[in-house]
Amino acid sequence: MSSIKEVVMLALVVMAIGSSCKKPSNANDENEHEAINKVVLTFSRPGTANLVFLAEDPDGDGGLPPSRVDTVRLAAGQNYAVAIQFINIVNGVEKDITPAIVAQGRSHEVFYIPTTVQLTVTKTDRDLSGFPIGVNSTWQTGSAAIGTVLVKLMHKTGIKGPADSPNVGHSDLQLPMPIRLQ
Amino acid sequence: MRDLFYFLRHIAIVLLLGVYAANAQQPPCSLTLSGSVADADEKVPLGNASILIKELERSTETDEEGHYHFYNLCPGAYTFIITHADCDTLSVRVRIESNLVKNFLLPHHYNQLSTVQVLSARQSQELQVREALTARDLSESRGQTLGEILKRLTGVTVLQTGSTIFKPVIHGLHSQRIILINNGVRLEGQQWGSEHAPEVDPYVADRFVVVKGAGAIRYGSDAIGGAVLIEPRPLPTDQRSRAEVNAGYFSNNRQFVTNLQWEQNSKTDPAFSWRTHITYKRGGNARTPEYWLNNTGLQEFNIAAMAGYRKPGYRAELFLSGFSTTIGIFSGSHIGNLTDLQNAIASEKPLQNIDRFSYRIGRPYQQVQHYLAKLKLFWSGSEGRRWQLVAAHQENNRNEYDRALITERPELSLSIGTSSLDLLRETTRSNTRSGELGLQALYQQNVWSGSRFFIPNFRTINLGMYGVERWQLGTYSLEAALRVDYRSLTVFRNRNGVASQSDHQFLNPSATLSVSKKLNEKSQLRANTSLAWRAPQVNELYVNGLHHGTASFEIGDSSFSAERSLKQLLQWDYQHDSSWMVDVTIHANYIEDFINLVPSLPATLTLRGAYPTFRYTQIDALLYGADIRLEHQWSSSWKAGVKGALLWARSLTQKDWLQQMPSHRFEAQLSYLFATQRFQNSYVSPSLLHVLRQTRVPGSFVDYLPAPPSYTLVNLSMGTDCRVGKRNIGIVLGINNLFNTRYRDYMNRFRYFTDEVGRNIVLQLKWKL
Repeated sequence: MSSIKEVVMLALVVMAIGSSCKKPSNANDENEHEAINKVVLTFSRPGTANLVFLAEDPDGDGGLPPSRVDTVRLAAGQNYAVAIQFINIVNGVEKDITPAIVAQGRSHEVFYIPTTVQLTVTKTDRDLSGFPIGVNSTWQTGSAAIGTVLVKLMHKTGIKGPADSPNVGHSDLQLPMPIRLQ
Repeated sequence: MRDLFYFLRHIAIVLLLGVYAANAQQPPCSLTLSGSVADADEKVPLGNASILIKELERSTETDEEGHYHFYNLCPGAYTFIITHADCDTLSVRVRIESNLVKNFLLPHHYNQLSTVQVLSARQSQELQVREALTARDLSESRGQTLGEILKRLTGVTVLQTGSTIFKPVIHGLHSQRIILINNGVRLEGQQWGSEHAPEVDPYVADRFVVVKGAGAIRYGSDAIGGAVLIEPRPLPTDQRSRAEVNAGYFSNNRQFVTNLQWEQNSKTDPAFSWRTHITYKRGGNARTPEYWLNNTGLQEFNIAAMAGYRKPGYRAELFLSGFSTTIGIFSGSHIGNLTDLQNAIASEKPLQNIDRFSYRIGRPYQQVQHYLAKLKLFWSGSEGRRWQLVAAHQENNRNEYDRALITERPELSLSIGTSSLDLLRETTRSNTRSGELGLQALYQQNVWSGSRFFIPNFRTINLGMYGVERWQLGTYSLEAALRVDYRSLTVFRNRNGVASQSDHQFLNPSATLSVSKKLNEKSQLRANTSLAWRAPQVNELYVNGLHHGTASFEIGDSSFSAERSLKQLLQWDYQHDSSWMVDVTIHANYIEDFINLVPSLPATLTLRGAYPTFRYTQIDALLYGADIRLEHQWSSSWKAGVKGALLWARSLTQKDWLQQMPSHRFEAQLSYLFATQRFQNSYVSPSLLHVLRQTRVPGSFVDYLPAPPSYTLVNLSMGTDCRVGKRNIGIVLGINNLFNTRYRDYMNRFRYFTDEVGRNIVLQLKWKL
């Protein structure tokens, strides 16, 4: 019987080791750490001050709906250089994740889809395959009008092509912003 | 070679002549006697037991599953002498007038003094409504997942997530509502999610039993749907060493699987035996009839070792196992938001698919490891008492890699550790009365990490106590059981940098009553009533987050009370020799405060887009239905069977149907059995599965896609034991979905995106060394 006692002791020791590694009382923060909950659009035109418009949902997915979505106000019939920034906020701390998205450019593409306003968007940046990313672009605005522009960040590992429709892949961001050309 | 032609000719006969031969007259002296020999204590099959027909001086040995066969017997009465190294010899006289199935139970040596009476009580009628997988079903389903194996049983279906993840469903209930007892220990992983498959290597097991009703009380209070028992075969006792090699190939996803087993009973110390297992499995993308499913590969590596020490009066067993798997999830299924989901559904073929074969697994995928250490002690005391102590520890680590925005780490890691101690005392009070008393203690903790919250950290303590009493009164057998469980759940959260802790306590009594009445030599009636409580699980209380696989936002409710279930089962079984077998089970389960996930408005708005919102709510539900099995054997070569499983599931609160419940299904199978000198136990068996469209769907909730139409699948399986030199090689060849039928199943969560897999040719080999 003594061999059985030894085995019991061994089993209890193994259990004690197994259950002591992680403490449930030391809980991880529940806010999603990698979601985009702030988007900043910066428009520049030579000879004028930069225009900045943003949208944010500081408490992340769920909870309260997005707290701020700006109307993009641009001059009609002009050319703008546009840069978009994707920011993650957790407990008030902001982290810019745009460089990481650009670094994984072959898995991402940004789309700007206007409705009831006239916009010609040309993506000026390229990923390692030479396909557009869309973090940097130029916008040519049409005549004065009011509408929306849908900002979409699509995730498409392994399926990205040179001229995809905005529906290819999965949405990492789908943000309709009001727009006014004046 | 001639044998091979003979074998093929038999196959041709079946396919061409169909049932014609069924009417063939049975010549005299062509009767078959078959059955199994099992251990009287634990009802585990005994291999290498010898059976002698005294009058004919013919003998045979049972195979490792405990099965034996005698062919070409003349009608008459014979004396059978059954012997096994560990057991007392049994002598039984059996009269044979037609093909017959006869099972024997052998008592152990060491129990000789105390259990002569136990035997008579134990060989009484089976009280529970349960169904075990047959040896043939087992050999045909080797290499598949546990869910796929169990769905061969009547009343068991699967809840699928794509082509790689299968969860067993018993009478419409799954996940936390059924208990999986793997090798005597309750499996504790992340069972709450529908995409969390049980972490079990089916090769380690030899017996799969589904307990549909009251018998589940021994294993826990929350088995309101039933229990699944998965048991390995007993360790060898014949002072020999043996090896077994299993190999399988599945054409659809080009999956191969190999399993090695090696066991030994020590020659120097016959009390000591051990066994080891290694299983490796690798599969690539699955294929529907029209396209490949990108990223649906899988890889699995499992090891297990058990050692036993067996002496008169006591027994000790140590079991260690490790299970590790990586499962790819169809890349078109992880959608970003409601718009993506609608686009995916609107498309006939999946939108985000790479239509080619590959073994590569990329995001999204799951990586799961499960470790189990178990020590079991068994000893017999005085006055017909036997004791059993099981101490176990399990560690389960799950990493979920979704389609990451930027990270290389898993979005969600869950790590659950469970220690348990079970003590059981069995008492034989008299020839007709016996009882059990059990104590169970469990400590569990779960810790999450990663960038996506789904369920919080928690710590659970569960203390359970139960008693079972069994009586035999003439043609009646009676069993009453009572159980009390205390559960304490402490939840730890951290929201916006603020840590908090909350406690829940549940005290749940459960009770069952089972009655069995022997109507005559051929038929029995069983009634099981069980009253069970299930404490809400942490996901139902606290889930709050995005479920990427379904593009939905799920919200729990921390004020939930326990579910209370009243389940009634009525079974009639009839067995006329081996020529007729009928089994009809009617079941009804009334569940008060059934926790159900229902859609709720408004949709959750995020910068990623909108998501439909689902909330857990408590309703009163009624699930009822029937399992029907009918088998007929005309002759020693022809056999047919039909099975049906019917289910209705109502929400009494909303006066509506419940969602995601399996629809009615029917199966028919025809078998042609034959044997030549070289090809033993051979069969060819076509079968037909018909699943009706689920029309009983909630009217209050408009599903993204209506339930798919009914479908019929034709499968073909054939098998034989081929003699090569002195060894036997078991060969099974199956063709699932023979006609490459295109279909979708209501119980597959990916039915919104893809068809089910197409034709799959399966070859399995089993070689005993």
